[in-house]
Amino acid sequence: MRAFIARTLAVALGIGAAGVAGAAEPLKVGAALELSGRFVAFGSHCKRGIDMASEALKRDLPGTPIEFIFHDVESNAASTVSAFTQMTSEEKLDFIIGPIASPIAASAIPAWRQARPIWIVPGASTVTLEKEIGSDLNFFHPFPYAYQYHVEIAGMLKQYVNTKTVSIIYTDDDYGRTHLPLAEKYLRDAGFTIVSEEIVRANSADMNSALTKIAFAKPEVLLALMQTTDSITLAKQVYTRRLKVPYLIGTFATQLKEWQDAVGLAQEGWTGLASYLPNLVNFPANPDYPKLLPTTSDWEATFRAKYSQEPNYDDAMCYALAAAMAIATKNAGSNDREYVAKALRELDINTVYGHLKWTATEGGTKQNAFDQMIIFQRQGGKSVTIYPPEAANGKLQAVQH
Amino acid sequence: MAYFTQLLIDALLLGGIYTLMAIGLSLSYGVARVINFAHGEAVMLGAYGAFWGFRLLGLDPLMAIPAVAMLGIVVGAIVFRLTILPILDSQQENQILLTFGIGLVLQSLAVMAWSADERATNPDYALSSFELGDLVVPGARLIGCAVAGVLVAILFVWLKFTELGRASRALADNREAAGLMGINVPAMFAFVFGLGVALGDTTGAIVSFILPVTPFMGFSILIKSFAIVVLGGLGSIVGTVIGAFVVAFAETAVAYYVPDGNGWAEAVAFAILFVVLVVRPNGILGTQATL
Repeated sequence: MRAFIARTLAVALGIGAAGVAGAAEPLKVGAALELSGRFVAFGSHCKRGIDMASEALKRDLPGTPIEFIFHDVESNAASTVSAFTQMTSEEKLDFIIGPIASPIAASAIPAWRQARPIWIVPGASTVTLEKEIGSDLNFFHPFPYAYQYHVEIAGMLKQYVNTKTVSIIYTDDDYGRTHLPLAEKYLRDAGFTIVSEEIVRANSADMNSALTKIAFAKPEVLLALMQTTDSITLAKQVYTRRLKVPYLIGTFATQLKEWQDAVGLAQEGWTGLASYLPNLVNFPANPDYPKLLPTTSDWEATFRAKYSQEPNYDDAMCYALAAAMAIATKNAGSNDREYVAKALRELDINTVYGHLKWTATEGGTKQNAFDQMIIFQRQGGKSVTIYPPEAANGKLQAVQH
Repeated sequence: MAYFTQLLIDALLLGGIYTLMAIGLSLSYGVARVINFAHGEAVMLGAYGAFWGFRLLGLDPLMAIPAVAMLGIVVGAIVFRLTILPILDSQQENQILLTFGIGLVLQSLAVMAWSADERATNPDYALSSFELGDLVVPGARLIGCAVAGVLVAILFVWLKFTELGRASRALADNREAAGLMGINVPAMFAFVFGLGVALGDTTGAIVSFILPVTPFMGFSILIKSFAIVVLGGLGSIVGTVIGAFVVAFAETAVAYYVPDGNGWAEAVAFAILFVVLVVRPNGILGTQATL
């Protein structure tokens, strides 16, 4: 009898100790972000979103401790590989979020394959990730792929533009080269004729020669496939060149306030894609977690009060993902990798960045989310949504330079 | 014909911008024999100086030039005295590594201080242009080209007709002899190095309304400037101007007339550099030591 009581006590104490330990031990998530180097804007915004979510989680979701361990991948491949090796081999982390930029995320693939932790990539539109690891159930991609951009752009142009001639200007880097064949495919499928294609060097000081060639090709549409720095140079040179092309189509950079500020008046008429735009898209609050995941406009108000500036899409996306990971952990009732991963896959929730539900893509990614996009045009210094029709509050207008 | 004339306009204006980028680097090497691998960061800091002057004080970038240039001379001279002077007579690799390191530090400091956001000044003339029939002359680049012309002219006058300029040339010719003639060699080196930095800062103020301003803008400017300076002849101001226009015309011509020429333009510029160096190892106008 004494032995039975002793065993029972021992088990009870053991369970209690384990319970205490479990409560005290947070789910550790590696955040491998570009906190310095060329893509620091992406990483620093994402970190800000995660930091904000961490504070909100302590306040609004107590009892579900989650800790983000930041690693600076320095916007280069070598540092990314060593950060992933450290996180998986030394820190034994089962969950990693980031990096964001396409070439940096792609460079992490071999190191990730060594241990295959649960990996959320909050960016990277390159299809390299999709081809290499899209079908892996440990890979989550809460961002549109490049081809999803071009499906939307082609759909929008088909709706608005009658004379279907396009010139494409693209950079000689990974971004331009990845997007070019996809743009060609979807534009041709939509009935457009590509009358000229001009390559420019990334970080080029002069795109005037390409613009002169485009002017002689007389297209109805100019599609620019380049990232922020080059798209600033291009927008200013298109304006000063008085390029007589009625429709100017950009991709992701157009939504960034830094792009808009840098190009000034030259922003007029450029279109862009976005999953999220502050003050333009207002997703509903999550009914189960209304404080943690309020309406987008309420969240933006909190963000502005905290940081005295408008949130970037990375802020909102990374906030939503950090909150989603905490909710998945809560739903799993455990920090166990497989339980949390299963709960993450099963999420079907409203967030400040839109509805989060993982779905398969046509390119083979098993778990893709946040791929809904709108197309907007800068009109009178403001963003006007022009596509899809159900979200539009304006129409595509021809540019008058 | 309009196509070719537009090519000439674009090349001429690009040559002006390239001259601006490279002239400070050329001066530093011409006198002090220091290849300043932080020159791109001097341009970057000048661009930020103009940007913050424009943003916070409403100061036109052109009006900011005297301030950023003066600051450049002072800071450049101090950096020279504290870091470069002690290793001036050591192997040139040490200077390269040192200035490259200074550039990286400045780049990182800029990221920490101002973030990596892309910025630009947008005075009215930044987006202006003149249309002559089918031809277009961008106003901002025209201003850049004009400033380059003025700066080169001032630099020539300074080198040829002022006491300090003559002292600089004497240093470039023979440092020991110049010292024996009473020239304060370390002070003169520091001043000329600072002048090179000031020219970089001035370039930054100009490009702040032409190109995006970021902490990382310096590297591509350095690479292009270095190629131009080597092409023209290390240390030769005239050679640098010629090199800038040779590169600009070669790049623009290839961009206009070769399919996908914009992608090849830079490679062609470096191919010209290669050919010139094979034929004239000291560059177009370079000798062992001339301004």
